[in-house]
Amino acid sequence: MTAIQVIWLREVRAFRGAFSCGVPVAAFLAASGWTFVMMLRRNEGSVLQIQSIWGLSIAPWLPVLSAVLTMRLFSEERSTGMIDLLMAAPLRERDIVVGKFLSAMTVLGVVIAVSLVVPVLILPALSAPVQGTVRAPAFAATFLILFLQASAWCSAGTMISVLFRNQAAAAVSSLLLCSGMPAVVYAAILAWIPSVRAEVAWMPLLVHVYDFSTGLFSTAVLVLYVAVSLFFLFGCSKLLVCLRLRG
Amino acid sequence: MLEIEHITFSYGRHRVLDDVTFDVAPGEIVAITGANGAGKTTLMRLLACLLMQDEGTVRLDTVNPIERPIRFRRGIGYLSEHCPLYSDMTVEAYLTYRVRLKGERSMRVRRRVSEVMELCGLENMGKTRIRLLSLGYRKRVGLADALALHPKLLLLDDPLAGLDVRQRKKTAALLTAASARAAVLVTGHEIQEMLGWCTRCVVLKQGRVAGLYRVSDYARDELAQMIERQVVSAEAVGEVAT
Repeated sequence: MTAIQVIWLREVRAFRGAFSCGVPVAAFLAASGWTFVMMLRRNEGSVLQIQSIWGLSIAPWLPVLSAVLTMRLFSEERSTGMIDLLMAAPLRERDIVVGKFLSAMTVLGVVIAVSLVVPVLILPALSAPVQGTVRAPAFAATFLILFLQASAWCSAGTMISVLFRNQAAAAVSSLLLCSGMPAVVYAAILAWIPSVRAEVAWMPLLVHVYDFSTGLFSTAVLVLYVAVSLFFLFGCSKLLVCLRLRG
Repeated sequence: MLEIEHITFSYGRHRVLDDVTFDVAPGEIVAITGANGAGKTTLMRLLACLLMQDEGTVRLDTVNPIERPIRFRRGIGYLSEHCPLYSDMTVEAYLTYRVRLKGERSMRVRRRVSEVMELCGLENMGKTRIRLLSLGYRKRVGLADALALHPKLLLLDDPLAGLDVRQRKKTAALLTAASARAAVLVTGHEIQEMLGWCTRCVVLKQGRVAGLYRVSDYARDELAQMIERQVVSAEAVGEVAT
């Protein structure tokens, strides 16, 4: 077993029994389910497809769940002192970061998959003549973009959790970063450089979900999310190095 | 084995370690003592690669932790002052996790864990949740973790603190046994007790080495009094300074 696998396994097990995982996951499923039903009712008779409605009902809640799930990754280790034992072990900082990040991504992946039950299994069973068959590729594409967005939020949350010993402070900070920053940056660009409005029109995050769910793939969007995730993970590993430098 | 040369470390403007130099040979148990704030824990954290010195060099069998950090850390076993553990895990699960994390091959993990549990008297505690353990047992688990992969250097920060007399004796016996395989560096305030089983004693005073004594060169009581005088004078200086 590699160090990444060992850390991943330990964190996934810790998530399984943690109050700070079960309650937020249940709340996330309830909130996204409610959003899904509301959107379904509002868009009755519209051209919006079921996978788009599902994707658009999940996406707004992802930053919240990511922030809550990632808050404990490093801040708990720092508050209990376990970070010392991790840092004194013969591991590279990036192995620790990747192991912890992947554990949060595993939980998020499972939660997103669980939220598929309603649109993929229950809804077609209830209204088979109207819905027809579930188009797996369309759902897979929507799942992909949601997973990529979750990866970006998760990596940001992981980095933020290195900065705090207090889990609540880490959660609030990463929530501000995940939810607030994209909106602020987008609004700032439009306010200060209105001429680039057309160029940055692709930036709003829900547009990406809608595009992918309708089959409109964009390499730029894929690269954007992967780059953002790598950036935050890199930052996280460098923060750990700083922690080693100054204690 | 372990060479510490002219180590200097500061937290901001506050110099915590100042030109610390000494070495530790294989099979030695070196006790580091001093008043509160003398720099004992900082020195241990520095040797455990949790801090990086401003000046000076550390070498473990010629391996420099700055040049080859992973190799250096593979050679050390570290017990932190507060002995942190994952309280949601059982003793056996925790030690298995730690042994795997340190890179032991899968086929040897179980053997290593059972060996070290036996060594530290934890055979009957394997399935017990760590949160249910007393401080003495928690320290034993921490020690088992530090000893698990037969490190060349054991760094134990205040392992006797909070233990009763019986537990202290057991810990001392464990350290003596461990010193057959590794050099041991241990901090603490229990001077009389440590002189019973350590081979050398380093006294830190405001971040400097104030004394370095080979225990066999002195009568135990005389040495203990001498060290205590040094520690007390350091405490007095510290109080005046604050």
